[in-house]
Amino acid sequence: MTLQQCYQALGGDYDDVLGRLRSERLVQKFVLKFLDDGSYRLLLDSIAAGDAQEAFRAAHTIKGMCQNLSFTLLANSVSELTDCLRKGSLEGHEQYLPKVQEDYEKTVAAIKEFASSNL
Amino acid sequence: MPDRVSDKRERILVVDDSEMNRSILADMLSDKFDVTEVENGEVALQLLAKEAHSFSLMLLDIVMPIKDGFDVLTEMNRTGLIEDLPVIMVSAETASAQIERAYELGATDFIMRPFDASIVYRRVLNTISLYAKQRKLMSVIEQQIAEKEQNNSLMVDILSHIVEFRNGESGLHILHVRTITDFLLRKLIKKTTRYSIAEEDIPVISLASALHDIGKIGIDDKILNKPGRLTPEEFAVMKSHSMIGASMLNSLSMYKDDPLVKHAYEICRWHHERWDGKGYPDGLKGDEIPIAAQIVALADVYDALTSERVYKPAFPKERARDMILHGECGEFNPLLLECFADEFDNICAIFTGNISRNIAQNDIRQIAKAALRSQGVTASERTLKLLDYERMKYNFYAQLTDEIQFEYNVENDLLRLNPVGANKLGVDTEIIAPASSAKLKAQLGEGWFEGMKKVLRRTKPDSPEFSRECQLLLGGERRWYKVIMRLIWAEEIEPTISSVIGKVVDVNTTHVAISELKEKSIRDPLTGLLNREGVNEAIEHKFDTFPERRFAVAVLDVDDFKSANDIYGHMFGDKVLQELSERLLHSTRVHDLCARIGGDEFLIVFDYSPEYDIHSIVARVHHSLCGRVDDFDLSVSMGIVEMTSKAQKFPSLFKKADAALYVSKNGGKGSYTFYDDTMKGASPRK
Repeated sequence: MTLQQCYQALGGDYDDVLGRLRSERLVQKFVLKFLDDGSYRLLLDSIAAGDAQEAFRAAHTIKGMCQNLSFTLLANSVSELTDCLRKGSLEGHEQYLPKVQEDYEKTVAAIKEFASSNL
Repeated sequence: MPDRVSDKRERILVVDDSEMNRSILADMLSDKFDVTEVENGEVALQLLAKEAHSFSLMLLDIVMPIKDGFDVLTEMNRTGLIEDLPVIMVSAETASAQIERAYELGATDFIMRPFDASIVYRRVLNTISLYAKQRKLMSVIEQQIAEKEQNNSLMVDILSHIVEFRNGESGLHILHVRTITDFLLRKLIKKTTRYSIAEEDIPVISLASALHDIGKIGIDDKILNKPGRLTPEEFAVMKSHSMIGASMLNSLSMYKDDPLVKHAYEICRWHHERWDGKGYPDGLKGDEIPIAAQIVALADVYDALTSERVYKPAFPKERARDMILHGECGEFNPLLLECFADEFDNICAIFTGNISRNIAQNDIRQIAKAALRSQGVTASERTLKLLDYERMKYNFYAQLTDEIQFEYNVENDLLRLNPVGANKLGVDTEIIAPASSAKLKAQLGEGWFEGMKKVLRRTKPDSPEFSRECQLLLGGERRWYKVIMRLIWAEEIEPTISSVIGKVVDVNTTHVAISELKEKSIRDPLTGLLNREGVNEAIEHKFDTFPERRFAVAVLDVDDFKSANDIYGHMFGDKVLQELSERLLHSTRVHDLCARIGGDEFLIVFDYSPEYDIHSIVARVHHSLCGRVDDFDLSVSMGIVEMTSKAQKFPSLFKKADAALYVSKNGGKGSYTFYDDTMKGASPRK
């Protein structure tokens, strides 16, 4: 699996990210780093604990990373969740969280497949 | 790399809670910058508190745990760090209210996620360069201001100390007044906003206070340093020092708007005014008196009271304070008296401590002292100025001229030349012991100095000028120069020459022109022989100069010259005369004189040694003169007279020779005749 195929699988924009980061090596490095980021875990834990502020920050961080990596699919769904959480309460998050979870799994699965085929 | 700001790598602080975002930024920038990453605002502020100035730029996320981006900006505003450290916000935030707030808090720029590597790099670089330039400019300006203030301060110190020393004061008065002024001003602006004095005006006013008495420069020494109280008349003169000082400053038209000069003007003019209008020179009342002058007035009075003067002892500090507070030294602004009472202990403390806070003060005092010492000892300032003026004038003319100008000082055996002269002679402008200078000898001849000494010995104090024309070999060319000298005599009982000044003017052109003219005037243009005037002069000279030699005068003319002219024309006539001149020059010797004295009349003065026979000389010459010129048979008649006594003058000799010629003509042409007394009166001519 190539990096480009990986982007196709996770619903991202490979040309866009390459245009901004300028090197395939860098893109690959950060794509792989995405697996280690704890923000998604923090998001789920904060929601479970009812901590809306922390949940907002976690969603916001994921949004930022996705934007930087041109993970368009996940960026869109997490962006909607971020806006929902911005008001400071968890109210209404159920409407957006499942889509985020679905897109996140899809993204991580694609990256993992890419990682295993390139190791 | 043209993008480089400096050789030193700039350091950038990246503040973002997402490790990946920090990492992306670090990767984009680490080629050109040193990047430090921290994960939230709290850590960032801790780091900045320690080493804010090691960073050139901060990239700041907004949404972070513990302390977010706005918290960081707010804190930086509180500490003022926001002025020095540029902040670029990096955020996924797109809400315009958030962006607006960041800018309001002093963020320099805003970069949206997702990051574009080249945009991030470019914005970071631009911001850093901009700030680096600003920092550089700031430091340049700060330095210039510091220098300017230092210069001002130095000048003021020197000036005021000159006044003090002239005034016979210790030099501390200025310092005291300045210190008290400073204290009172600081206290006053805490007490009231009535006077528009800013914190930064205080050093300027304090400095200006040092000039309060500069007008005393214009007061007569006798009054200024009079031991004892002044008479009412003298006091009136003394009082004028405030107006004198003011007008001195007023005349600095270029600096009129300078705050220092403005304050100094107020202080000089009005530091003897009093709150109740009873002061001088203008009798201003209350706050009509500028506050700076009011303060200096009080400071001046206090220091005068606590200092010893010729007419009074020093009062104890507390006594002086009370005298002022009770109006014994004139009325002061009540508010100012309050400040004075409040600050009294502080003022005393300063003065009992080490008073010379500043080592430079001492140096300045030395300069001022030296300035005073050198002044007025031998020459008044006016004389020095005049001297200076004359020097300038002299130098100006010396540069313009083409002449060699010199000045020889006898005592020092030193010859000074103007640059033009030194250049012409190929020597230095100053020559010690010129008599032994090989270069001068080469230019002026071996014995030039002895020759000059001889001339100098002949001059006398009542006729000290001397001039002579002579030929000098300058720059490899021998030309005529006129040397003009004047001796300076030292005024002693036995007058001696102290120096010689003079110049050497190139008169070659004139000289040559004159001698050419002279030459023309004594020569016959057709033949180049001497004419009548020329030969007259030459004969006299010859007779005078060579008394041991013998002379004979011969007069000759061309036989039938008129027919040569008539037959062959004037051109041919001229040719005959020219041919005859040639033959004359060839047949006579160097010391003989030949002249054409009329149309076809010539004259020869034979100059011969006694052992020669004049008869044979004449025979040879006469023979060589005759002979054909083209078709014309040139023959010459000649009459000769020997000079038998030194008493014989040329006119009488000429007459005798002419008489002999007449005899020759009558006796047949083409012959010569020696005069004898039988021929007396033979000449038919005038």
